[in-house]
Amino acid sequence: MKVPVSIRVWGVVAMTALVSSCSGQKDKGEGGDKAADQAATPTGAEAPAATAPGGSQPEAGKAPASPAAPRVIGMSQCNLGEPWRVQMNEDIRKAAESHADLKVVFKDAQNDSLVQRSHLEEFVAQKVDLILVSPKEAAPLTEPVAKAYRAGIPVIVLDRAVLQDEYTTFIGADNVKIGREAGKWVAQALGGKGAIVELKGLMTSAPGQDRHKGFLEGLELDKHPDLKIVFDADMQWLEPNARREMESALARHRKIDLVYAHNDPGAHGAWLAAKQTSREKAIKFVGIDALPHEGVQYVKDSILDVTFQYPTGGAEAIDAARKILAGETVPKKIELSTRLFTKDTLAQGGQAIQ
Amino acid sequence: MSTALNRAKRMIASPVGRVLLALALMLVLGLVFNADGTFLRWTTHRDILRQVSVYGILACGMTIVIVTGGIDLSVSSVLAAAAVGFSLLTIHSGWNAAGAIALVMAGGAAAGAMSGVLVGRLKVPSFIVTLAAMVFLRGFAKHLSGGQKVSTYVQETGDVVPLPAIFEQIDAHILADIVPIVTLVFLACILATAFVLRQLRLGRYLYATGGNDEAARLSGVPVPRVLIMAYALSGLFAAIAGICQAAQERQGDPETGTGYELQAIAMVVIGGTDLAGGRGGIALTLVGVLTIGYLQKILSINAVGEASRLMLTGAIIVCAVLLQRRK
Repeated sequence: MKVPVSIRVWGVVAMTALVSSCSGQKDKGEGGDKAADQAATPTGAEAPAATAPGGSQPEAGKAPASPAAPRVIGMSQCNLGEPWRVQMNEDIRKAAESHADLKVVFKDAQNDSLVQRSHLEEFVAQKVDLILVSPKEAAPLTEPVAKAYRAGIPVIVLDRAVLQDEYTTFIGADNVKIGREAGKWVAQALGGKGAIVELKGLMTSAPGQDRHKGFLEGLELDKHPDLKIVFDADMQWLEPNARREMESALARHRKIDLVYAHNDPGAHGAWLAAKQTSREKAIKFVGIDALPHEGVQYVKDSILDVTFQYPTGGAEAIDAARKILAGETVPKKIELSTRLFTKDTLAQGGQAIQ
Repeated sequence: MSTALNRAKRMIASPVGRVLLALALMLVLGLVFNADGTFLRWTTHRDILRQVSVYGILACGMTIVIVTGGIDLSVSSVLAAAAVGFSLLTIHSGWNAAGAIALVMAGGAAAGAMSGVLVGRLKVPSFIVTLAAMVFLRGFAKHLSGGQKVSTYVQETGDVVPLPAIFEQIDAHILADIVPIVTLVFLACILATAFVLRQLRLGRYLYATGGNDEAARLSGVPVPRVLIMAYALSGLFAAIAGICQAAQERQGDPETGTGYELQAIAMVVIGGTDLAGGRGGIALTLVGVLTIGYLQKILSINAVGEASRLMLTGAIIVCAVLLQRRK
């Protein structure tokens, strides 16, 4: 080849990149705001109710729409690489379909905060009636969200919060709470005694940290001295990694009673590893997210014993959007509750946790 | 006595010796940090062989391309597209396994050949061509799958169809549960690569092209065609790796395998194949594959934290490559 030197240089580049990339430092994974390192609670979260500037006087400043013209909702999704986010869009689409007067325009920011920022600017320029945004990160999107809000367009922030309180309402679930529920379920299912393997999501991401923290709170290890986490590893939300780590856990520990994975694909990977050594029957598998064709399906197939839903909030967002567009007020923060799916509760669509 | 010592010294100084030394260091590391004897169980070693298989299959194609002095960054995306395509064909389109495997392999080879045409005929640097192919094919995988994982779930109806037997067959172990099928596939790929590089005229052409393409051309080597073949083979192996990946995940995930190309490159380089081309071979790549596989396993069974894992992996790759460098 004529370019051996450049190839050598590229080789070095590739080797440098290896360290960060072979370990799977990706923004992918199933649930919610997994890569949201900066996810922060909105400062105005506890404000009882807020009226959207555009919502309180829905027709002010705009000519009343003719009954045929639908209200346009702009939706900016931070990326569509995660099945959970695809599901969120799907939930929004489904919820909006039943209302002929709503039209949703979907945009995919492909994991780029600046692209998402331009989405918001485009929505303002187009004068959409309402904006839904599921931000990639809090800090870079706070100002664009605030600008749209100040321009009189109601903004519903989904899943990951932005800083400050210049938006109409925030809809999201609490990962610590879901982790805690999982911990409680595990402590009870094991009768306060047993060896646990924890397969963590990317531990530099807020959801990974929260699902771990909540799990420990729910387990109450100080009250259950016979309950032990014998092995834990960071599987970065990825099924092949989870399977690999579980194989190590199985090789190292003769007795494993339960696997708690921070997402359903992780739990599925662990099950595949256990099945290979015919130990899957002796182990309980617990996952999180409960997407209909992923976690819930795994429960149906007797792969997982339980999965805890991390709700997308898509339907709730359309609900809130309709209220705002009708001039009603909505709370500044809508917290979504989780549901747990076991084989017994599948038929009734899971069991709500209060 | 002294001749034996000299021979040992020469062994260690030879390329093969140095590669084996890196692997031996891993084994020692494993013996020291054996995680309560886990490292001493044979099942651990079987698991390593299964876990490195997909990377190893990619490394076979990568070795061929690197021998020509090029690089193929697109293998991870070919893998994903193949995993998606294989899942779509077998799970949802009702193709039989053999037909689907043949079509996916042909598709992988065709995708590789296209890169080969750009590199060989149009003289675009391989890094650029395969970087573009990597991006394009990742998009293609997402397009094929509609952005969803292709599993037994049918999006339109909400039904679940049964998983074709081929998935569990590829992911099974044979011979009294000892040998994983994917490892056999990996070994077959190693043998095929060795055959191409050592037995065929194409093999000599590959080395000649990597050594000095101008000299090769002047001595009658059809350089463009040789390059097309090299990238086509790499695509073919990546497609095989994709089928194995899909079988092990029980689904075709369009996001799967991200970053695997760099793993494969590291394995080839640790094996002592020269990134500048013209030197190296598949036997050494096999040792490189095992070295990285053992390293990952040792870190995993000892439940080493993520931060330390990354730092150790980086440090050990540098050491292994330094060990490899010709004096």
